[in-house]
Amino acid sequence: MLQLQSITKTFPGVKALDDVSISFHPGEIHALVGENGAGKSTAIRIITGIHQPDAGLILYQGHPLRFRSYRDSLAMGIDIVNQEIQVIPDASVAENIMLDKMITFGRTGIVNWRAVNSVARRYMEMVGLNVPPTTRMRRLSAAHKQLTQIAKALAANAQVLLLDEPTSSLTVHEANNLFAILRQLRDAGRTIIFVSHKFEEVFALCDKVTVLRDGKCAGTRSIADLTRNELVRMMIGRDCQDAHLGPLNPNRDREVLRADRIVRADKADNVSFTLYQGEILGFYGLVGSGRTELARILIGEDHPDSGHLYVRGQLTRIRTVAHALYRHRIGYVTENRKEEGLLLKSPVRTNITITIWQRITNALTRRISPAREIDAASRMVRDLDIRATGLNQTTEDLSGGNQQKVSIAKWLAADCDILIIDEPTVGVDVGAKEHIHRLIWELAAKHHKSIILISSDMPEIIKLANRILVFKDHRVIGELTGIDDPANTYDLVSTAIGQYLA
Amino acid sequence: MAQENRSSQTPVSTTAHSTPAVAGLDYAPNAGPGELVSGRTIGLVISTAILFAILAIRSDSFLSLYTMAILARQIAFFVIIALAQAMCLVVGGMNLSVGAIGGFTTVILGLCIDKGHMPGFLAVPIALLVGSAAGFLNGTLITRLKIDSFIVTLSMMFVFMGLRSGISDGAPYRLPDSFSYIGQSLGVPYVFLITLLVLAAVSYIFANTVFGRRLLATGGNPDAARLSGINTDRMIVHANVLSGFFAALAAVLWASMLSSAAPETGNDWLIISFAVAIIGGTGLTGGVVSGLGILMGAAIYMLIRHGLVELKTNDYYANSFVGALILLAIILDRAREVYAKRSTPPA
Repeated sequence: MLQLQSITKTFPGVKALDDVSISFHPGEIHALVGENGAGKSTAIRIITGIHQPDAGLILYQGHPLRFRSYRDSLAMGIDIVNQEIQVIPDASVAENIMLDKMITFGRTGIVNWRAVNSVARRYMEMVGLNVPPTTRMRRLSAAHKQLTQIAKALAANAQVLLLDEPTSSLTVHEANNLFAILRQLRDAGRTIIFVSHKFEEVFALCDKVTVLRDGKCAGTRSIADLTRNELVRMMIGRDCQDAHLGPLNPNRDREVLRADRIVRADKADNVSFTLYQGEILGFYGLVGSGRTELARILIGEDHPDSGHLYVRGQLTRIRTVAHALYRHRIGYVTENRKEEGLLLKSPVRTNITITIWQRITNALTRRISPAREIDAASRMVRDLDIRATGLNQTTEDLSGGNQQKVSIAKWLAADCDILIIDEPTVGVDVGAKEHIHRLIWELAAKHHKSIILISSDMPEIIKLANRILVFKDHRVIGELTGIDDPANTYDLVSTAIGQYLA
Repeated sequence: MAQENRSSQTPVSTTAHSTPAVAGLDYAPNAGPGELVSGRTIGLVISTAILFAILAIRSDSFLSLYTMAILARQIAFFVIIALAQAMCLVVGGMNLSVGAIGGFTTVILGLCIDKGHMPGFLAVPIALLVGSAAGFLNGTLITRLKIDSFIVTLSMMFVFMGLRSGISDGAPYRLPDSFSYIGQSLGVPYVFLITLLVLAAVSYIFANTVFGRRLLATGGNPDAARLSGINTDRMIVHANVLSGFFAALAAVLWASMLSSAAPETGNDWLIISFAVAIIGGTGLTGGVVSGLGILMGAAIYMLIRHGLVELKTNDYYANSFVGALILLAIILDRAREVYAKRSTPPA
């Protein structure tokens, strides 16, 4: 049993954890939930020895532990599986699993690859990883990389497995596969700590849940006696509403974007669709089904082999993102805001105005007008309710939800009226998620923006879209209309989508 | 929505604590509201002042007008070489061929004047143009062939060095006395004035213009910059052109100081360019540069070299000191970063 007893951790100005006690039992999958800033990450870092608590004890099998590093916690049989822990991309799967316990011929120091591969294969089978052990790591999908990490933890005989947002880049199928393996491990008596934003997962998978709120423990409950609403209330201290946000009123006479038989090798297979003014067109599908790939063609980041694109009725070729932005006012909010969306080290102001610098420059001095820059940035900060200490706050220091708003804001500042928004709420907590949903909906409903919403979060896409295209294998395999009609309940729509994908 | 924020954060009031970008010598992308220069640059200014004070106290001849003029001229020259490197560092690359381009353009300059009998006002622009073209070639290779700047500029370094030696046969060209008017002036040396002008222009560009901020964005996060509508390939080419231009400018100034166009010009620039740029706080991974920082970096570099001579230590050890200094600059910077991270909770 792993116990946190009265753990307190203070960072200058913030009490990240305040007298938090949690017990993780063997043979249970224990969810750790809470909004960003609630203390989840700090708790994880304390369990894995990256941070040391200011006060309180960590007990393992009744013995107090003092972790000084991630290595210490590994040695005690506690391992963490997340996307930040890097694999060695050019080494084989077996090598990654067996890295610290290579089998050699006697004491010669020469690796016995046959033995390494066969031992690794045993752990790979335990997690259902069906690739040859000699496969290079970089060739694996995100799901398989994750399974490799779990296999590695098992090889290290980890009794406590900590999974931090493990499904954020997995398809539904892959996630279900992962859950089955976690259940097996639980039944074999291991302790699994599962950190997630997704309630569906917490309810489907976990036995217990501990909620952190503002650095304090808001309670540990058994999942069986808990409803979704109760859990939300524990997390944010109030109720949240789900369902459709409300009907949209697209202008069917105003076609703003039309793709006609777009073909791109391995990316788009004869894709056609039309986007009307004021609508939210959902692109639903699994990761890799061709949605993001199509979006990149629409913004000129990639180019079709054949097919035509019409923007506001005009046949066009979009060569670069600059074309899409400055000529056609098409904006793309990327799914990886940290890697591709934001200049994390730069202030909020820079990230919002990056698309309009040219427009606010004095023709003679070539100087970007500070007044107009601040004006544009503060208007966005106000309109989107971006919480920051100031326009000069480093973007890296904002919460996920606020970073996402900044990522959307730059296109709105540039007057884009066609917005392609890719997975807008990945890594965003419940409260902020709702706010971003409302923002997207209002852009279409009230400001007549035309939006393509790419999402693999079914509740999200049903809540927002009025029309959904279902993608599979780089093709559109189905279209559902009238989603925003209250008569079309979540169950109806999700079943219909499921039938296309079956 | 209060839940998603830490209690210390409040929504931004529209204009209350927003400060305009600074048009001074320093562009501080990380500077907080109201800060004119980044903490890093302030540290450099203080270090320079301390070094200066030590030398002023320990040496009698240091504060003389003559020494000052000589030092200013050297510092100015180092600044230009460092700028040649910094331009590429800013966009997240590097230019190993700064010295080679310098040597190559020196030879072109000598050829034009000595063999072509061209006047300076014709030969100098030609040399600058050739340097820029060399940078353009680097940039085009990097972006078109998608090869790392390290590989491209390493190869091109050999190419330019070969051209330099081949064309000149290793022998220096004689330049007329009139050519050394700029380089050899003392008092307030013209070279120093030119450099200050260049630095002011560079700082203005980075702080205030679309071009400068796009260069910084390209280095800060190339993917994000590209997906925000910035033609990052073009920015990288521009940065390399500027780098070549500054290498050529340094070559012209050097030739003017020597009143001869020596092919071995540039042999030691590679190290100097990195040393001064790094000590001056230029980010090695791109996106961070400070004009004032580079000036201070050059001053610190020069004062240390000069100081070792003045204090009658064995000058042959000078490079070891410089190396230690670069390490120290990076360690201090890393320490600042780690400290900043430690003191904020994980998001």
